[in-house]
Amino acid sequence: MTIRSAILEQLTELFEEDELDMPEFVDETVLLDTELDSLGFAVLVTRLDEELGFDPFSMMDEPVYPVTFKDFVDIYERFAPDEA
Amino acid sequence: MITGTSGGLGAAFATALIAADYDVVGIARRDVTAADLGVPDDRYHHRQADLGDIDGIGELVSDLVATYGKPYGLINNSALGADGMLPTMHNSEIESMVAVNVTAPIILTKYAVRHMLSARRGRIINVSSVVAKTGYRGLAAYGATKASMEGFTRSLARDVGRRKITVNAIAPGFLATDMTSGLGDSNLERIEKRAALQRFASVDEVAASAVYLMSDAGAGVTGTVITVDAGGSA
Repeated sequence: MTIRSAILEQLTELFEEDELDMPEFVDETVLLDTELDSLGFAVLVTRLDEELGFDPFSMMDEPVYPVTFKDFVDIYERFAPDEA
Repeated sequence: MITGTSGGLGAAFATALIAADYDVVGIARRDVTAADLGVPDDRYHHRQADLGDIDGIGELVSDLVATYGKPYGLINNSALGADGMLPTMHNSEIESMVAVNVTAPIILTKYAVRHMLSARRGRIINVSSVVAKTGYRGLAAYGATKASMEGFTRSLARDVGRRKITVNAIAPGFLATDMTSGLGDSNLERIEKRAALQRFASVDEVAASAVYLMSDAGAGVTGTVITVDAGGSA
């Protein structure tokens, strides 16, 4: 499973749990324009940590806040351990 | 998950919650065993850790979750209680007090609350002090740290309430614990006489408020401070 597909899988679960309308996530999708709020993204990061075994937002030296879906995926790909 | 179980109040939280059928993971610099607390071995687990090591807190929580499962509740009880006149307190004492009393519990909560968000339930209790509101001579820096935790409590309650997580503070009055032993007998006697009930609250009475907040009965209480001080600030 790629990191991108793992993220999409967790996003799908979250949208279903919260009974939200899931948009099509493309590179340009602005995260906070979706119905998932900032608390929802905190849950997403937690679940990805459980699924992938790392949390890039805790690993980075300076805080970075992704705006688009591509930004979000890029951050995970950049911090992925070699074996992931 | 309870920090500072090596102290009088932390130990009281642990024993009261175990008596109420919760399993407890204690965190403290010193070792604490189930036998020390007089509780069954399988109900109390201890992790020796220095919460002043802020960078290690994320890994500590990951490790505890891997070992014991996701936490239902967290009590941020660990604190340094150095007293002294601010103008003559050493900067390092002030900095370490802020690190242990404010930064560490905020970072610990950051990592613990993630698991509660995911589970859509949870309880966070921050141990404040009446000093956060009343003030007391020689406790300016300590009072600042405790007032910080009350502000943290109120805003975090707003952040995570939608996921059925409650965040509250408990503000004990002066208690007869190691932390207050430095205040001297005459000071303690004066504080005792000023209380509405003419005594100190006990650590068990403070712990009982934590049991309430952790319970289903406490599900409707969030973003507030419960003062348990035998009427000392009444």
